[in-house]
Amino acid sequence: MIGNAGTIDPARLHRALNPRTVAVVGDKGPNWNWITNLKAFTGKVYSVQLDEKEIPGILERGVPNFRSLLEIPDEIDLVICAVPRNVTPFILKDAVAKGVGGISMFTSGFAETGEEIGVKLQQNIYDVCAADGMPLVGPNCMGIYNRRLGVKFSAAQEQGEGGDVGIVSQSGTHGIAMSIGSQRLGVKVVRAISIGNAVVLNEGDYLEYMLNDPEVRVIGMYLEGIRNGRKFFEVLKRATKKKPVVLWRGGRSRAGARAVRSHTGSLASDDAIWSALVKQAGAISVDTLEDAIDTIAALVHAPATPKRNLALVAMTGGQSVAITDQFERAGFEVPELSKKSYDILSEFFITIGGSYRNPFDASSTIGRETDNLAKILEVLTNEKAIDGGVAFELGSRGFDEGTERMDQMLDLLRKYRDTRNLPVVCLMPDGGVMSGDAEILVRARGYVSKAGFPVYPTFQRGANALGRAAAYWTWRAEVGKGKASKKK
Amino acid sequence: MVDVIASARAEGRTLLTEAESKELLHGAGIPVTRARVAKKAKEAVEYAEEMGYPIVLKIVSSDIAHKSDVGGVAVGIDSAKALRTAFKTMMERVSAAAPGARIDGISVQQQAKQGTEVIVGATTDPQFGPVMMFGLGGVFVEVLKDVAFRVVPLEPRDARQMVREIRGFPILEGVRGGEAADLDALESLILKVSDFVAQHPEIAELDLNPVFAYGKGALAVDARVVLAEAKS
Repeated sequence: MIGNAGTIDPARLHRALNPRTVAVVGDKGPNWNWITNLKAFTGKVYSVQLDEKEIPGILERGVPNFRSLLEIPDEIDLVICAVPRNVTPFILKDAVAKGVGGISMFTSGFAETGEEIGVKLQQNIYDVCAADGMPLVGPNCMGIYNRRLGVKFSAAQEQGEGGDVGIVSQSGTHGIAMSIGSQRLGVKVVRAISIGNAVVLNEGDYLEYMLNDPEVRVIGMYLEGIRNGRKFFEVLKRATKKKPVVLWRGGRSRAGARAVRSHTGSLASDDAIWSALVKQAGAISVDTLEDAIDTIAALVHAPATPKRNLALVAMTGGQSVAITDQFERAGFEVPELSKKSYDILSEFFITIGGSYRNPFDASSTIGRETDNLAKILEVLTNEKAIDGGVAFELGSRGFDEGTERMDQMLDLLRKYRDTRNLPVVCLMPDGGVMSGDAEILVRARGYVSKAGFPVYPTFQRGANALGRAAAYWTWRAEVGKGKASKKK
Repeated sequence: MVDVIASARAEGRTLLTEAESKELLHGAGIPVTRARVAKKAKEAVEYAEEMGYPIVLKIVSSDIAHKSDVGGVAVGIDSAKALRTAFKTMMERVSAAAPGARIDGISVQQQAKQGTEVIVGATTDPQFGPVMMFGLGGVFVEVLKDVAFRVVPLEPRDARQMVREIRGFPILEGVRGGEAADLDALESLILKVSDFVAQHPEIAELDLNPVFAYGKGALAVDARVVLAEAKS
């Protein structure tokens, strides 16, 4: 049993998160957002609305409306509740009587307001759900996104089969941002849960759900306060042994200052404890949305390896120095290649110019034709000194005239990646001399992301994202192989 | 061991005396210098003869947080005669410096040979529960705050990492001809404290400050245990 009261059956949460039927309670014009978000839902949608003004708009959208949950002639797996806070006790009562799977509660105005009535109504949610074993997501949240079923909390969330990532976010907008940000980087989000006030289920419960979801390979979380720190720590330690967990924390503990009477107590700042916990549990800590999605893209698109000897390919001499600085700063090595490799590379580099020592300064060599890129990557495929993959500055000039050259380059990079099973990171910086103008560059980035490569707009972001992934795989190699070291 | 906590509770105290703290920790297998509380100089001499000189005297009072500030610490006492004198002057000094403070006696302790000073502590985080801290003692913890934390319970790997994580770690490895500290002993001490704290949720805070790290072994020479407020 899970939940803050320990009374929720995980199977019932599973039912609510993977609904075949959804009842939207209290949706309103002018946009009827919740019903609109369910436009492509694979199951059946029902509406509950008493307000006569709102009903025509609901019916126009092809959704049957009822006066109460109890009147719906179907079993309901998920209730999306968007009524004013004062009405929530009645909806909860009906939901219990109806025996719905669970509730996603958008309604806000509870304990987060600090008002007495809000606190009281939140306590009612807790009491009713604890007693009934009702999984309730929120309140004060955007609810759930399920890619396969087309349950969304933002119209921009994609629908389709498969997926890589599961997202849990205390903030609704960060839940949207992390899911569509990941999509833009070519990452498919299996599901996202916006957890709001986490009154009934806590962050540890949701993390555990993601851990047990076989479709979720990588977990991304945005958290502020932690509802149940011990449980979260315990689940996090288990989760990271199976899947990478990217943790973005915003704000700071509001648990308040304590009277401390020890040195240890006076030094135990919220930051110090949080970073210790993340390190101890083997999670990946990030500070910004960009860091979060950059890291997710690296974990999803780059083969897993703890190895750190990279080949760096830049388009110009200056950039070959810059790319080396950033990757070395992120803890990578840029080793010399074997004599055999240099002998082969010198044959075609020498006539055209540029450096091939690693880092490569390659624009003049691969600018015109991709044959030379094929040769470089063939050398790298056979090169033992490179065990961590390739970071490649990818030019997009001419992309507007056709994708043929880009496709050729990506095919070659893919072949290297799949043969060696090593990361290929594509760097497409704003300042790239081979990038074309802004629109071309941005479109090309999207294209390369969709082709399944991690793409970064700066060397630094690429280096840091790959560095975080490598640090995680190092940790996994040491700790998480399933053979957890026994206490002596 | 339960008695120490129960008697503090019965007196409405949450701060254990050094002697009480050490008794608790000793019972948990954590290496601490032994301490016995004497009310009279004669009694102190008896304890000292048992333990062997040199010895240290420390005032025992739950009203006094920083013993050395009120002249409540005397070290290097190497004979019964010196002990009697030191006992008397300490009583007088403390009474003058902290008038009205309740004095329960003077703690007679073995004087540990100086080692590299480190601090090992535990506290209770409002969100994550018991956590532990490790750092080098003195200026490193006071000024530079060069410490590492972990959430209880610690695994051997956590203890290993936290010892190596502080910036001052090279000092423990031995710099400028200094002796290298017994890291295994430090890690083992940290893990024992972790187990101790995990098994005693009634302990809110704990400082072992300092712990002396030696070439072989480690020994806590001062200890402070704070209990959680009793649940009403």
